[in-house]
Amino acid sequence: MKRRLAEYADVVTTAAESLRANPLRSLLTALGVTIGVAFVSLMGWALGSLDAAWESTLSTLGQDMLYVDKWNWAGGGNWRSVMNRKNITIDQAEEIARRVRAASMVYISADAWGKTVVRADKKASGLVIEGTMARFGLLPSTTLAEGRFFSEMEEQYATAVAVIGDGVRSALFGNRSPLGETIRIEGRPFVVIGVMNKRGTLFTDFLDRTVYIPLPAFFGLYGRYSRSMTVAVKARSPEDLAELRDDLRGIVRSVRMLSPDAPDDFAINEAQVFRDQVANIRMVIGMVGIGLTALSFLVGVIGITNVMFVAVVERTKEIGIRRAVGARRRSILAQFLAEAAMLCVAGAVVGIVLASGLIAAAALLLHKQMEFLLPFVPLDVVALAVGSSICVGVIAGFVPALRAARLDPVEALRYEA
Amino acid sequence: MSAHSPLILLEQVTKDYRMGSEIVHALRGVDLSIEPNEYVAIMGPSGSGKSTLMNILGCLDWPTSGRYILDGTDVSSLDDAALARIRNQKIGFVFQTFNLLPRATALKNVELPLIYAGLSADERRRRAHAALESVGLGDRLFHKPPELSGGQRQRVAIARALVTNPSIILADEPTGNLDSKTGAEIMALFERIWREGNTVILVTHEDDIARYARRILRIRDGCIESDVPNNSPASVEEPAAQR
Repeated sequence: MKRRLAEYADVVTTAAESLRANPLRSLLTALGVTIGVAFVSLMGWALGSLDAAWESTLSTLGQDMLYVDKWNWAGGGNWRSVMNRKNITIDQAEEIARRVRAASMVYISADAWGKTVVRADKKASGLVIEGTMARFGLLPSTTLAEGRFFSEMEEQYATAVAVIGDGVRSALFGNRSPLGETIRIEGRPFVVIGVMNKRGTLFTDFLDRTVYIPLPAFFGLYGRYSRSMTVAVKARSPEDLAELRDDLRGIVRSVRMLSPDAPDDFAINEAQVFRDQVANIRMVIGMVGIGLTALSFLVGVIGITNVMFVAVVERTKEIGIRRAVGARRRSILAQFLAEAAMLCVAGAVVGIVLASGLIAAAALLLHKQMEFLLPFVPLDVVALAVGSSICVGVIAGFVPALRAARLDPVEALRYEA
Repeated sequence: MSAHSPLILLEQVTKDYRMGSEIVHALRGVDLSIEPNEYVAIMGPSGSGKSTLMNILGCLDWPTSGRYILDGTDVSSLDDAALARIRNQKIGFVFQTFNLLPRATALKNVELPLIYAGLSADERRRRAHAALESVGLGDRLFHKPPELSGGQRQRVAIARALVTNPSIILADEPTGNLDSKTGAEIMALFERIWREGNTVILVTHEDDIARYARRILRIRDGCIESDVPNNSPASVEEPAAQR
């Protein structure tokens, strides 16, 4: 045991020395591995970022929330028949809200898209005006950076107050506090009483471009019947969601007076509808990443095998000397395998550094637009990258190492470069 | 090792090589016995089979037939790992071209056999240092072979051969790449090593070198042609080794 230990310690130091003796050659040889590892790292980072975005989407939209809407958020279905759906009117929405029993909270909201809001000489367009209820402000996911949400009272009296999204605040107010300032929506003045925390994600980036106003005030701007309503229903617990969904579907069908054989002319949305989208993106990233990685590793294996063959020839004499003084075949095999593996690990380290640099740059440059991007390579990905590069090394080094180990010591000693 | 058995015993050893379609009989039945602390020169022209004999004596190669008993062990049938162990523990090689690792220091070169013997780093260093001291290179521990003269390189190689305390020192044309003055110094070193109780086997084609040995074996066409004691060995003076 001790005998082996001394030998393997030497195997490692010898391998490191021979890499150091040819740093440029080592670097070029391991280029395939470097690039492969960089791809693995970038893929892991992209997937990690996506997961983080997904998590925050789930928590913003609420895992225990159902949203009755005219449209399915994730799209799908026959476009024409979906377009022809009748609006969910405020009367229907109120009826639905009244009939839902198994919910811990219900609120109604309506949205107007692509609107412009003006403050003094500044303008922000492409915004969403959402008329909603004071109850929305009570949801755990509704958190304010400053100010407060509007009250039941303000809602009932259609008070002209607004709570603005983080993106609206930065577009109209820069770094100043907007509390107490007046903004104009459709020409009418609203007083800003609160600013939402940043809550948009990859999937719901419009949330930060939304202005929340009391629902009656919304009707004052856009009329009671021009828009389709959304009925948001909060389950008592996430486990009740399936049951609630069934209840809700029956209620909406009855309120919409659908005949038993008619298809639903509405959608019950939840955060999970983005799951398919996430799965698709994951798959694309995964397939592209794995494809590129496999290709790079293949190039790496070929390059390393090649250079290891050269190294075996170059060091034939050394192999002979080592055999003469007592190295077994296995010692020689281990030595060249270690060298190939170490070459790959060195390549992997360069790849990780490279990927980290790219990621740091991306996180720095795109931070504003894509907040969900992680600023680092996830650690498990680093472990995976190093592990797989060791495998690449062993695979690439095996045949050359075997050739080295099988050299006849007499022939090897006689070899002159 | 019992007092009755020789250190080396070859019985009807043959070695055949295939060269293309022809079979070359490099050794054609060699019988040889060498006692501990002998100083033997194996001589012969090139192609005589002396290198083959040396490779077999050094356990670098297997005989085609016959027996080779080294220090009481029949090594003719051992596998690779066992032969590697024998080479490591019982044989110290000295080559014509020194065969040092060019990138390693003198100390590291001498440590090499001890690595395969499984000694700890401290112990390796201590013994390698001592071996280099004994060949007069105590002040060159951290020089690499390209920074050393030919004679110094051969001393490093001799230190490497001695460091495991082997049963046999096997030297193949040890002065072949050295000028005659340096060659004489190296031969003086072998003389001392022999006097200290080691068994030394020289393989050479030079009479001047063989004269240092106490027994001279001549090989021709794969057979031992003559095996005679050398009653008038060359005298040695060893000035440089003490430096």
